Amino acid sequence: MAARRKKNTDHNADRLAIGEDLTIYHAASQKSQFIDALVAASGHLDIDLSGVAEIDTAGFQLLMLVKREARRLGKEARIVAHSEAVRELIDFYNVAAEFGDPLLIPAQDA
Amino acid sequence: MKTIFLVDDSATILLSISGVLTKAGYEVEKASSALDALKKFQAGVKVDLLITDLNMPGMNGIDFIKEVRKLSSYRFMPILFLTTESQQSKKAEAKAAGASGWIVKPASADELLNTIKLVMR
Amino acid sequence: MDEITTVFVTESREQLAALESALLQLENSPGDDDTLNAIFRSAHTIKGGAGVIECGYIVAFTHVVENLLDKLREHAMQPDGDLIALLLGCADHIGNLLGVLEAGAAGPDAELAAEGDALLARLQRDWLEGDGGHGGGLPSVPPVPLATSGGGAVESDCWHISVRFGADVLRNGMDPLSFLRYLGSIGRIVQLVTVADAMPPAADMDPETCYLGFEIGFASNADKAAIERVFDFVRDECTLHILPPHSRLEDYLALIAALPEDTMRLGEILVKVGALTQAELDDGLARQQAGVVGDDVAATAPLGEILVGQQVVQPELVEAAVVKQKQVVDRKAAEARLIRIQADKLDRLIDLVGELVIAGASVNLLAGRSGNGELVEATSLTSRLVESIRDAALQLRMVQIGETFNRFHRVVRDTSRDMGKDIELVVSGGETELDKSMVEKIGDPLMHLVRNAMDHGLEMPAAREANGKPARGRLELNAFHDSGSIVIEVADDGGGLHRERILAKAIERGLVQPGQALTDAEICNLIFEPGFSTAEKVTNISGRGVGMDVVRRNIQGLRGSVDVRSEPGQGSRFAIRLPLTLAIIDGFLVGVGRAAYVIPLDCVVECIELEPDGSTRDYVNLRGEVLPLVRLRQLFGIPGVPPSRQNVVVVQYAGAKSGIVVDQLMGEFQTVIKPLGTIFRHIKGIGGSTILGSGEVALILDVQALVQRCASREAQRADGGEGARAPLAAVAT
Repeated sequence: MAARRKKNTDHNADRLAIGEDLTIYHAASQKSQFIDALVAASGHLDIDLSGVAEIDTAGFQLLMLVKREARRLGKEARIVAHSEAVRELIDFYNVAAEFGDPLLIPAQDA
Repeated sequence: MKTIFLVDDSATILLSISGVLTKAGYEVEKASSALDALKKFQAGVKVDLLITDLNMPGMNGIDFIKEVRKLSSYRFMPILFLTTESQQSKKAEAKAAGASGWIVKPASADELLNTIKLVMR
Repeated sequence: MDEITTVFVTESREQLAALESALLQLENSPGDDDTLNAIFRSAHTIKGGAGVIECGYIVAFTHVVENLLDKLREHAMQPDGDLIALLLGCADHIGNLLGVLEAGAAGPDAELAAEGDALLARLQRDWLEGDGGHGGGLPSVPPVPLATSGGGAVESDCWHISVRFGADVLRNGMDPLSFLRYLGSIGRIVQLVTVADAMPPAADMDPETCYLGFEIGFASNADKAAIERVFDFVRDECTLHILPPHSRLEDYLALIAALPEDTMRLGEILVKVGALTQAELDDGLARQQAGVVGDDVAATAPLGEILVGQQVVQPELVEAAVVKQKQVVDRKAAEARLIRIQADKLDRLIDLVGELVIAGASVNLLAGRSGNGELVEATSLTSRLVESIRDAALQLRMVQIGETFNRFHRVVRDTSRDMGKDIELVVSGGETELDKSMVEKIGDPLMHLVRNAMDHGLEMPAAREANGKPARGRLELNAFHDSGSIVIEVADDGGGLHRERILAKAIERGLVQPGQALTDAEICNLIFEPGFSTAEKVTNISGRGVGMDVVRRNIQGLRGSVDVRSEPGQGSRFAIRLPLTLAIIDGFLVGVGRAAYVIPLDCVVECIELEPDGSTRDYVNLRGEVLPLVRLRQLFGIPGVPPSRQNVVVVQYAGAKSGIVVDQLMGEFQTVIKPLGTIFRHIKGIGGSTILGSGEVALILDVQALVQRCASREAQRADGGEGARAPLAAVAT
């Protein structure tokens, strides 16, 4: 699996990086991945989506889910890096404000 | 480049539709029977959209769609079927089998391309 | 005009005809939903089409009319006679605007524009009260719709699309994203709010199920059907609401009630999408809560009171909308089964079929001569098929006469009002079909007969009552097929024709001799003689300087005839008899000398052999009947000696029989009628020409003229006292 999870001691946050497409083909496994990471995270979960080349509505729903679930658990899930595809979709679905993440595009994609 | 897989037992239809698609910049794969097509799917051909006729000798389009949907790589691929005005009742059956939408024959190039644009992921 | 404009004009004229007949229907059933919907649809279709071809002046005018029709449709007001008259005027005006478009002008001239303004002003002032947005001149921008009983229209000039996708949309290989992106190709997504309220907590969330919905502000010139079509593939599973720009506040409240999400949140979303302003939302809710209309209601009701609004909105509203959408879809499906083609393409096909018929006849002839049995068999199969093709091709040109008849509802309505008469038009046989070219040409003669019946036939209500008849006069239009012809009748239950007056006039004009013996039917039909008019005063209804003789001439020009029967005090019945088509007939080929002639087979009753007694008298005894004869050899001055055995073809036209004496009978023959050149037009007894399979020309006999010739000869003999109607015992055979 192309996802990595590690402690980011600097920010006292856990970090989840997704390196494969966020599409319906992987939605089932990615859901567990997100939720597991969120449950395991101590307070903050930083999600790195800079490696996501493709995202569809199923993938987008997972982002909505993880944001909402974090709030429910009293935690915070932040998308700390967006690929162009992710940024575009968040833009199209007009949830940037709701998500509240700074829309940073990694240098290599920008 | 997006690849469209076209299945129809009529050579004329294959030719006319693939002509339009190629001109519009799509890669086109063709098969003149559901069984031929299924073999290619089982072999893992790269496909972004499947367009299939429903009335074909041998395996019909409905059964073909059901078989394709069983293959994990094509579970969520958009599938369009070709139909006519008089075949309205087939729509429900084809949708239940897993089709995404339909193209009513005869379709103009614009109608065809617009419908593809509508379902292409 | 480019093709799409041509199609638009044709379609719109059809829609106008439908609109007009539906409006007239509305007079009898003012609240009928089907009729109201049909009227609205017609106007809407015209406006939509005008939008597509970017004809601003038609869009602008039709838009206001459509607003009013929408209010009628929603029973916000009741139509009455005045409103219907005004709407009929609007329909006429749209027709005129279509004429402007057809003529290729940039816009209506000042006079027409003023007429349109006047109509719009009346609509605004009398029926669409409270709108200040529309000034003088045709607006280039659709005017702001008007206050309605339930609150004003909202300010937003965007469509509002509300969609909740079905759970299986992702599993079926589709992505809502594709549909929403596609919207961008028919308009502009101004604002979009993603609604994920349906998504359950993580434990219950299925990542392959779609939980999303969207509220979208959408700027587009597309019509509702086009927007709906984007969602065709998911329509059955999704919840879709589409509100047009400037929808009423009520509609948004109904939408809120219909959606699954929390009402308060929806209110916020609609404000966020820009569909409603906060003030509009609050205001609408306050009005609903108070249950009154007007500006005197406090517009400060808090958002929380939407809940009250929710209870006020009737679920039927939503259901009605669903039913309406379904009707639109059904209608679209029915329309899709029709193909519109240009008439000249059809004419070309008919021409070719005509040539095919001739070529086929030639092949048949050669096959017959060859004596090759198999060839003869094969060609006879071919000719059967050609015959079927001919019939099918001609069938393509056949249209029902009903549409022509329906035009008269309006004429009768308007004219009877003008004349102070009360006339009911009864139409029957509207499904009877005849050739399209015939339909176009029969309109004028029919109009003349209808006006004549209203003007001269039907009496004033008082006069009718005095004669013990109902005050309301009855005018009938009827059509039916009769032995290869179509008969169109115009009948009234008025005073009938005055035989004495007609006869007196005819004698005065020198049309008949005093003392000449005429049957009642002959007297009645004198009104078709040139220069005949018994009207005591020339009115502006039928007195247009055109007499009944012109009617007859026009009908004869279509190879038809017209006659009248009349009962004094009971009314008159005019019957127009026309051939079904102008192009191809089944003929009976006969020979005289070296020439060949074609007799239309429809008219042929039987063939008999002429007793070879060498006499030249012009009648024979046919089973106890006098059968007048027409000897073609004499009539056309054909040289040569007749053969010892001549044949008689017994023909019938409009009840009268004659015998045509010919040398040879050559059998049935399909023939394409070619019109005669102008120099031959005056020749009586010849209706046209055709080309035989052998390449020779054959003349087509005008049976009507020949039969009439016999009849007039009989009449002359009657004058001569020779007793044409003498018992047969007196006639030696």
